[in-house]
Amino acid sequence: MLNALTAEWRREWIQLRRYPTEMLSELVVIVLVFYGLFLGASYMAGGAIFSGRLSDIIVGYVLWTLSMMSVGTMGWTISNEAQNGTLEQVFLSPFGAWFILLLRNMASVVISLLFTVITLFSVMAITHHYLVVSLWDVVPALLMIASAMGLGYLVASVTILMKRSQQLLNLLQFILLFLIMSPTASLSGPWRWVGIIAPFAPVVALLRNMMTKGESILSAGDWLIWSVVNAVLWLLVGLTVFAWAQKKAKRRGNLSHY
Amino acid sequence: MLEVDGLVKRYKTKDRKVVEAVKGIGFSLEAGRILAFLGPNGAGKTTTIKMIAGLINPDEGDVTVNGYSVSGKPKEALREIGAVLEGSRNLYWRLTPLENFEYWAGIRGVSRKVARERGRELMSELGLENKLGSTVQQLSRGMQQQVAICAALIHTPSLLLLDEPTLGLDLDASDRIQEYVLKLAHERGVGIVLTTHQMEIAQALADYVSIIQSGTLTLEGLKSEVLERYAGRSYLFELGAVASVEVRRKVEARGGVWSSKVEFRVVLDDPTDIYDLMRVLEPTAIVKMVRETADLAMIFREHTRMASASEEALRGVTS
Ligand SMILES: Nc1ncnc2c1ncn2[C@@H]1O[C@H](COP(=O)(O)OP(=O)(O)OP(=O)(O)O)[C@@H](O)[C@H]1O
Ligand SMILES: [Mg+2]
Repeated sequence: MLNALTAEWRREWIQLRRYPTEMLSELVVIVLVFYGLFLGASYMAGGAIFSGRLSDIIVGYVLWTLSMMSVGTMGWTISNEAQNGTLEQVFLSPFGAWFILLLRNMASVVISLLFTVITLFSVMAITHHYLVVSLWDVVPALLMIASAMGLGYLVASVTILMKRSQQLLNLLQFILLFLIMSPTASLSGPWRWVGIIAPFAPVVALLRNMMTKGESILSAGDWLIWSVVNAVLWLLVGLTVFAWAQKKAKRRGNLSHY
Repeated sequence: MLEVDGLVKRYKTKDRKVVEAVKGIGFSLEAGRILAFLGPNGAGKTTTIKMIAGLINPDEGDVTVNGYSVSGKPKEALREIGAVLEGSRNLYWRLTPLENFEYWAGIRGVSRKVARERGRELMSELGLENKLGSTVQQLSRGMQQQVAICAALIHTPSLLLLDEPTLGLDLDASDRIQEYVLKLAHERGVGIVLTTHQMEIAQALADYVSIIQSGTLTLEGLKSEVLERYAGRSYLFELGAVASVEVRRKVEARGGVWSSKVEFRVVLDDPTDIYDLMRVLEPTAIVKMVRETADLAMIFREHTRMASASEEALRGVTS
């Protein structure tokens, strides 16, 4: 399993090094976004409430991009591998395709995170504005990415069966954005469950408590537990549906037909 | 080493019809032997190969490799299987052969170090050791296919599945692959199932021959036995003039296959049938008449023609 992990890492790394244009364009976007945010925020707020609000926005932005990446990567990997004529070789792995997809997703999240952190530090050094991001922010970030990977397996399942997923992905992004923006945490009665079960809902509530109210992760109370439950739930749903979709495609005999 | 037992595969097509692509196939193969799996287009070869590799789930039947069931113990079974699939690249074109080996070995649980050593070894056996560093994209079609075979062998599987491995390759590349396949089986003890439409390749490589037609095995056995069965019954005729349409039809009705306007081959079950055939040809001059030793191309042609004819006849009776 460790060998598979290293293999996935190296593959990702080599592709980055050999075909840097993709990485560069991604990097340019991140730099521009951060730079714009920093300048805009310092201009409007005059520095005083600068670091608090801005770090919220930046953490939010980074989380959103990483999550969307995790929702989309597996489906994209499948259609890409099918077009390359390597998908079936991936399915010949004794670890199972689900595991290889997981590793690949993790590899791209980590690499992307690495870029973001490097850019963030560079922009901070250039603008002389510094953000305080607590290490505790990593926990909700991981939980959010775990939920996102669950959704990623759902997208991958649709890709395996329908051979396309772009429309679904667009729709899903829209729904998720809506979920994040809406105050699901303050729903009451039976609707309360929406705030727990809907993807990202509890972890967003957790982050809100941590960031705007400045609470620590532990005092945000139940939301931490619900976030864990939510992440596990969506991962399980994703994996179950993926196993079913894979079986169905193997029955139909069209794992790789495009 | 490989046991294929009662495989059945029915596909549902888009217009909701059911195509029975494989209708109860069974065979076995020992380690170090090569099975040539032959059959016309659409006979069910690729479907069978993919069922062996667990890429298609059969409706009935099972496959075991070294005692591990492909459906029941896929993890163990897949460690024993390497496959080069038809019409697929099977490799990342943006990576070099060595990088491909590292990757494909890795996701099969083999360490990078072992993958590099083994990859180098495999490539130098094929005389490709100086191509380890160029991306696969830059290699010729023949080299790419050879690299794909190496990649399929990187985890030392005991069974290698090759679906039309020499399709579209020039003679030189094809010869190299053939030579290597022989070595793999007979020196290393790898069991190999190979499909091809090139009969001379089957002839050169096979220990066993199976012919599949419309999802059913219609002929199987040791190559030597199969050749023996047809030996001395094949004749080549060359005429002194172009045969008339009527003559051509009559020859075909007696099992003749025309290879040109003046030349045909025929398998005669009873040697005295030759008089009847010569009467059909009269008065055209016969400039050559040779009793040929059997080869797989001839047997395949003859066998598939007979089988489809009897199938048609059967259909005629039932309808
Ligand atoms: N995924 C699929 N869905 C529906 N029908 C299929 C599918 N795959 C194959 N078939 C059909 O099953 C039959 C067997 O196909 P298969 O690809 O196994 O043949 P083959 O012997 O490999 O032929 P070829 O020599 O052309 O490669 C064909 O009639 C084919 O049209
Ligand atoms: Mg085929």
